[in-house]
Amino acid sequence: MKVLEMQNVTKKFGDFVAVDNVTLSVDEGEIFGFLGPNGAGKSTSINMIAGLLRLNEGKIKILGKDISKSNQFAKKNIGIVPQDIAIYEELTAFENVKFFAGLYGLRGEALNERVEEALEFVGLSDKAKSHPKDFSGGMKRRLNIACAIAHRPKLIILDEPTVGIDPQSRNYILQSVRKLNEMGCTIIYTSHYMEEVEEVCTRIAIIDHGKIIAEGTKAQLKSIITNTKDVWVGVTSCREVDPDELKDIAGVQEVQINWEDNVIKINSAIDVNNLNKIIRYFINHNIEIRSLEEKAPNLETVFLTLTGRNLRDK
Amino acid sequence: MKTLSIATNEIKQSLSNKRTLVFLLAFPICLMLILGLALSNAFNSSIKIEDFRVLYLVKGNTEVEQAFQSFIKEVKKNGVQFTRTNDEIDAKKAVKENKYVGLVEVTDQGIQLYENNANAIKGSLLKGMLKTFADKVNLATTVAKTDPGKVQDVLADSGQNNYVQETSINSYKEPHAMDYYAVAMTNLAAFFGMMSAVYLIRGERQRKTDIRLSAAPISKMEILSGKVLGGILTNVLCMLIIVLVSKWVFKASWGDHLAVVFLVLLSEVILAVSLGVGISYMIKTDNTVNAITMVFVQVAAFFGGSYFPIDDVDSFGGIFTRLSPLYWANNAINKVIYLNDMTPAVHTMMWNLGIAVLFLLISVISMRRREGL
Ligand SMILES: Nc1ncnc2c1ncn2[C@@H]1O[C@H](COP(=O)(O)OP(=O)(O)OP(=O)(O)O)[C@@H](O)[C@H]1O
Ligand SMILES: [Mg+2]
Repeated sequence: MKVLEMQNVTKKFGDFVAVDNVTLSVDEGEIFGFLGPNGAGKSTSINMIAGLLRLNEGKIKILGKDISKSNQFAKKNIGIVPQDIAIYEELTAFENVKFFAGLYGLRGEALNERVEEALEFVGLSDKAKSHPKDFSGGMKRRLNIACAIAHRPKLIILDEPTVGIDPQSRNYILQSVRKLNEMGCTIIYTSHYMEEVEEVCTRIAIIDHGKIIAEGTKAQLKSIITNTKDVWVGVTSCREVDPDELKDIAGVQEVQINWEDNVIKINSAIDVNNLNKIIRYFINHNIEIRSLEEKAPNLETVFLTLTGRNLRDK
Repeated sequence: MKTLSIATNEIKQSLSNKRTLVFLLAFPICLMLILGLALSNAFNSSIKIEDFRVLYLVKGNTEVEQAFQSFIKEVKKNGVQFTRTNDEIDAKKAVKENKYVGLVEVTDQGIQLYENNANAIKGSLLKGMLKTFADKVNLATTVAKTDPGKVQDVLADSGQNNYVQETSINSYKEPHAMDYYAVAMTNLAAFFGMMSAVYLIRGERQRKTDIRLSAAPISKMEILSGKVLGGILTNVLCMLIIVLVSKWVFKASWGDHLAVVFLVLLSEVILAVSLGVGISYMIKTDNTVNAITMVFVQVAAFFGGSYFPIDDVDSFGGIFTRLSPLYWANNAINKVIYLNDMTPAVHTMMWNLGIAVLFLLISVISMRRREGL
C-alpha cells in the first residue's frame, strides 16, 4: 500500500520554484531517504505534506486520501519531526510531548501512558520533568522526535533529525529510526548526510533545485552512474609498476599512478572479479603492497556525477 | 476540547515565562507602589472642593426656588459655591469656558443642568447632588451637556432617573493617590496584554511550532481561538492578582460595585488581546510590530491618565485622551467607584468589545488567506 504519494507537486515562492513537478511514492514499511543539498526543496516538500504550505500544482495523498480533502484522516496518521527544534522552552519535556499528543485527541491516562512511552523511546524518561532549555543539542533533537511519535502515526517524517549533534546522539537517533520502522512505521528520512541515508534507508530519492534527479534502491542508484569500481593499491615504490601490463588483466580499464602517495588507482568493470590477478601482479614483480582498498561508488559520488557538485559545501 | 488544550498550554507557558510575569505583574505593582506613595501628598489636595463654582438661573416665580435655596445653603457647607445669574447666554459661555462647573436652571418644570464635558469629575458630582436634591423634593431633572455649539438633552430622553444613587450630599468621595494608581495600573496591566498578544501566533511561527500545529488534526480557527482564549485568561489572572494585591496589601479602594469594575477590566483585556493579535496579522516584520505596539501602549497610557490623573480633558491631551482606551477605562472605573455612575462603564465595555470584534475579524480573515498560521 502507498503511504505517501506526491503527484506533480510544484511550489513557488513568488517567481522562485522551490519544488518543481515532484512525483514520488512511498510504500508501507519503507525507510525512504530524501537526499539533497541545502535549499534543494526538502523542507518545503515536507511543509506541504504537513499542510503548512499550500501547493501551487499537483496532489498529495496520504494512505490513498487526498490531503486537501480528507484532511483530518491524513493528519492523524502523520508525525512530523521538523528540521528546526520545535518545542516550548517554558514547558517540561513531559508537558511538551503531552501537549502535542493531546492535539490528536488523546486524553487522560491513555495520554500520559503514550507520553511516557514516547519519552522512554527516545531515552528521555529521566528528564521528563526537566525543561528543554537545560538540554544538550542531542537531547533537544530527541525530544523533537518524541513530540512527533506519541500519537503513534503510521508515517513518520524526519527532516534532518541529526543536524548539529554529537556522533553518539546521532547513532541513537539512527537506531531509533530503525526501531520505529520495525514497529511498523513507514519512515521518510531527510538529510544531506549521504552516509546516514545510505545506512538506514531502503529506498532513496535525490532532489536538487526542487527536482527529483534520481530515485531507487542504493544499488540501483549506484548502477545509474557507474559500472566500474576502483581498487587502490598502496606500495612502497611505484617505480617498478607498468600501467600497460596492469591493463592486460581482465576487466581493468584504466590505471592511474599517484607518484606522491605511491598509490596505484586501478579502475575495472564492476562485474569482473580480478582482485587475485591484480595482487599476483604485484607479488610477481616483487613490489611490496602497503595497503589495498576497494572503492565502491557511494551516494556522494552518485550526486557528484549527476549534478557536478558536492552534497555539502566542503 | 482541543481549543481548551491550546488555551491551557498558552496559560502554562506564559505563567512560566519571566518576561510575562515582569510585564503583567511586577511592573504594574511596583509602579502602583511608587506612584501611590510618592504622590500621596500631592493628591489629597488635587481636587479641591473650594474651586467648585456653579451658576444658577431662576426662571419665573416658582415654588422650587425656596427648596433650591436651602439646597444651596446645605452644599455651601461642603464648599460648593452657587452664584445667581440672570443672563443665560453669558452664563452658558462662562460654563463653556470652564469658569464654572455648570449652569443650573430652576423652572416650574424642574431643574436643568448645563455642564461642560471637560470637567468630568466635578460635573458628575454636581449631577449627583442635583439628583439627590430633586429626589428629595420630587422634581423631574434634565441634564444637558453643552458641547461647543450644540446643546443636547441627555437625561431627558434616556428616561433614566436612577443613575446616581447617592443618598446624601455629604457622601462625596475622592480617590487618594493609592486608590487612583491601583485603578490606573490595573488598567495599564490589562492593556499590556496587547504586547504579549502580538506573540500569540507570531511566537508559534518564531518557535517553528507552527509546523506541528499545522500538521495536527485541528483547524486554524481552533488554534486561533485557543490562543486568544489563553491570552485573555492569562491576562485576567494577572489582572486579578494585581487587584487583590492593591486591595489587600496596599488597601486601595475598589468601591462597592466590584462586578461592574471586573466587567470593565475584562472587556479591556479582551480589547488588548484582540488588538495585539490583529496588529500582528496586519504588520509583517517583528521590529515594526514591537515598535508600533510599544508606542501605542505608551501614548495611550500617557494621555489616558495612567501616570497622573487628568482633571481637564481638553486642556490636557484632547483628542489623544479621548481616543485612549486607558482613559475610557480609568474614567469608567473611577466613576463607578466614586460616583456610582455606571454609564461610562457601559459605554466603555461596548466600545472595547466592538473594537475587539473588529480586530478579531481582521485576524480571522488574514489567517484564512495566509499559508500556515
Ligand atoms: N517561505 C519562503 N519564502 C521564499 N523562499 C523560500 C521559503 N522557504 C523556502 N524558500 C526557498 O526555497 C528553497 C528550498 O528550501 P528548503 O527549505 O525546502 O530546502 P531544504 O532542502 O530543506 O534545505 P536545507 O537542507 O537547507 O534544509 C530555498 O532556496 C529557500 O531559500
Ligand atoms: Mg530543510
